[in-house]
Amino acid sequence: MQVQLVDLVKDFGQTVAVDHVNLTIKDGALTGLLGPSGCGKSTTLYMISGLEQPTSGKILFDGEDVTEVPAEERGIGLVFQNYALYPHMTVQQNIMFPLVNAKVKKEEALARCMEMARLVKVDDLLKRKPSQLSGGQQQRVAIARALVKQPKVLLLDEPLSNLDARLRLEMREEIRRIQKETGVTTIFVTHDQEEAMSITDEIVLMKKGVIQQQCFPQRMYLEPANQFVAGFLGNPPMNFVEVQAEQGMIRLNEAQYPVQEDISGTVLAGIRPESFTLGEELTVLVESVEIRGRDQLITFTLNDTPVHALIDSVHLVKAGAPISLAIKGKRIYLFDKESGRRLNKEFKYE
Amino acid sequence: MKKKNKLPGQLGTLLKYAFLIAGALTMLFPFLWMILTAFKTLDESIRIPPIWFPKEWMAVNFKTVFDTAPFGQYFINTCIIATISTLLAVVVTVLASFAFSVLEFKGKKFWFWLFLSTMMVPTELLIIQNYVTVSHLGWLDTYQGIIIPTLASGFYIYMLREYFMQVPPILYKAAKIDGCSDWRYLWKVMVPMSKNAIATISILHFITTWNSFLWPLMVTNSPDKRVLTTGLMYFNNDASSFVNLQMAGACVVILPMVVFYLIFRKQIINGVARGGIKG
Amino acid sequence: MSKAPAVKKRSAWKKFYESYKAYLYLAPAILVMLVFVLYPLVKVFRMGFYTKYNYLTEVGKGFGLKAFEHVLGDPSFQLALKNTLIIFGVGLPISLIIALVIAVLINSKVKFKGVFQTVYFLPYVTSIIAIGIVFRWLFHSEYGYINYFLSLFGIPALKWLSDPKLAIWAVTIFYIWSGLAFKIVLFLAGLQKIDEQYYQAARIDGASKLRTFFHVTLPLLSPTLWMVIMVSVIYAFKLYNEIFSLFSGQAGPANSAITVVYYIYDMFYNRNQVHYASAAAIILFIIITVVTMIQNQVSKRFIHYN
Repeated sequence: MQVQLVDLVKDFGQTVAVDHVNLTIKDGALTGLLGPSGCGKSTTLYMISGLEQPTSGKILFDGEDVTEVPAEERGIGLVFQNYALYPHMTVQQNIMFPLVNAKVKKEEALARCMEMARLVKVDDLLKRKPSQLSGGQQQRVAIARALVKQPKVLLLDEPLSNLDARLRLEMREEIRRIQKETGVTTIFVTHDQEEAMSITDEIVLMKKGVIQQQCFPQRMYLEPANQFVAGFLGNPPMNFVEVQAEQGMIRLNEAQYPVQEDISGTVLAGIRPESFTLGEELTVLVESVEIRGRDQLITFTLNDTPVHALIDSVHLVKAGAPISLAIKGKRIYLFDKESGRRLNKEFKYE
Repeated sequence: MKKKNKLPGQLGTLLKYAFLIAGALTMLFPFLWMILTAFKTLDESIRIPPIWFPKEWMAVNFKTVFDTAPFGQYFINTCIIATISTLLAVVVTVLASFAFSVLEFKGKKFWFWLFLSTMMVPTELLIIQNYVTVSHLGWLDTYQGIIIPTLASGFYIYMLREYFMQVPPILYKAAKIDGCSDWRYLWKVMVPMSKNAIATISILHFITTWNSFLWPLMVTNSPDKRVLTTGLMYFNNDASSFVNLQMAGACVVILPMVVFYLIFRKQIINGVARGGIKG
Repeated sequence: MSKAPAVKKRSAWKKFYESYKAYLYLAPAILVMLVFVLYPLVKVFRMGFYTKYNYLTEVGKGFGLKAFEHVLGDPSFQLALKNTLIIFGVGLPISLIIALVIAVLINSKVKFKGVFQTVYFLPYVTSIIAIGIVFRWLFHSEYGYINYFLSLFGIPALKWLSDPKLAIWAVTIFYIWSGLAFKIVLFLAGLQKIDEQYYQAARIDGASKLRTFFHVTLPLLSPTLWMVIMVSVIYAFKLYNEIFSLFSGQAGPANSAITVVYYIYDMFYNRNQVHYASAAAIILFIIITVVTMIQNQVSKRFIHYN
């Protein structure tokens, strides 16, 4: 089912959480609403669910306006951040609860419950109570409960933030698997860019209630629309250095790099740490080194700005020693200093 | 999908408010009637169908009440007893709660359990013997006879201990290293940090003592040692048909606490709720 | 050489002090508790087993269960038990249901939540004795408002306080009125602890308001519910002040509104039969303990703790 948000606004008086958002979410896709805290992603999710009412704007499910329709009639499934499993009911009762409310016949309800339990792999835990389950298990049950009524869209609010690192990896694969097996349109909210990058079909990146960019993950990584997007994705984050663009050239320390002719003035150059490699273009003094197993994170200065680079750990670098670097493919992003908009047009993703 | 139907929602809300307001009026009614009747003449107060508002506000009723029975003395007695009792009870409770929370000693569990179980013992069992004990001690008809048996409440000790235990124990260790004695630690650190809980306990104890009836009744004989509640009872026996005067007397007993309540409302409600839930 | 013993002595004393200094802090509380709680408790248990007891000299004669026999066979006591049962069996459930409904209503999205809370809790801070006098007049058969209110519906005036059959019901009504405050406040606090998310989840799960109340709200409220029930049950068994004030020191017309506690005091204070009073008190204690134990067992099955 396609979800469309038309000029959606949520104004809380003191802040505008969602500021004229226009969004189309494809049917059957796993979409991530990504952004720092306070960017409006959760508010948007709750407006889609119907638990939060927009100040203005429309929400359409498959072209039909559901803005005035109450949450319980929208046919959505919602997995809360804290799961909200009924603590006094068993796993089975929790999963069957939506069916019981819809007055589904007992045999059918039981069959559907079993099917869901098998899908999320909790079929051997049916008689337990939530307090007897681990975090990951509780979340599976919450997903099963949301899916059992065959919703048109599945919403997840920060599903992985309560899990430890190892479990997070496992569960995000599970969410991806479940989504692919059921084919249900899924939207989930997260602040973790790695999470969004790894499992979504499309990312919607938000900041202060405004969508910054919407496209599939790899493209957003390689073709960020603005400085915020560029800096948000990627760990360690992109370096930003002030440069002067004159007559198609910019300068990093003593080295010069060619850029688009039409860019001039003071702009921000963005270079990903992994874009640096050993080479002959720049010579810098290494200020500190962090050896991280598969690579080294080194810090140095470009145009009076501290910069991080990731280079492989075959040749170990010493702090205080000079090092010669190059930028792979001369891949330097340029951003407008005030608006943050990306200025250079190359780097199209094939 | 149907759009939201607003009508049943509005009707439900109307019923909700109607019910709540009706209930609130039922709660308030006895108070309002009491206050209004206190200002009526006797004739006005027993009229059927009832008259709501007095023609003239007979404030003189209160004067009569204070002339007929030493309500002034009762009031002073009650104030003194409630105040002293609360002060002493707070001190006793603070000391005991400190011991049960911060200090480590042999028999800690045993004594704490003992105090807890006293909460379950109905006072009715004890009141007979306590009367005997108090009379043996020569404390009949004295302030101390009224006050002292009520000072060790398992409930308040439990409540304050819970609060004390929320102060990080690491502070105590740090204080010890700084050479701070237990006594100083209690009064300079724990008590200031627990001002809220102590205030709540004081308020609750004050109200309970002000309203207490049976024990003061048993323990006192002479009229000049009566408290407001017992004094009111004796007054009623004397002025048994003067509704308006009885209501005036009731006002004297109840209204100070109502004022007290309106001022400390949040403390009182939170204190009862917290104590109730944990206890 | 001469230093060693002195140091040893001090540290031994210090050790003792460290382990037991807490008792200095506990001393006042322990003293009061021992003298005015533990000691009377023991004494009461003793007193009930004598046939004659002089409390002034504390000499008793005739050790045995005669006192219990007498009390259990006393029609006054039996009436007291019956009355207590009425309060417990009728007054308490009604009071609980009304309090629950009001708490749920206040907890839902209403304006003036604070005002309602303030008004509904007001009776808690009032002296039962004083407000009981007010109720005594409200229940008056000729001049009382309650009868006037009933007459508006065509119901004839009832002799609330003078008819032996009605007296206990007047008490029950008064008991319900004054008991609501405590229950409402505790129910409200318990309701407010229930996470909003459970209600949201129930909405998404398509549960009607009624289903949500019975399958989500009540189970999550159950710890508070049980606590209130337990405390209220004990209080219902110990009703005294309400009756005293309603009937000016009597236990109702012809003692018709007598309760167990009233019986105890009557035996002790008015008739000087200390052993009967103690025996009755012990019986009361046993009843309360048994009821509490039954409640504990039942609650283990039903309460859900988060």
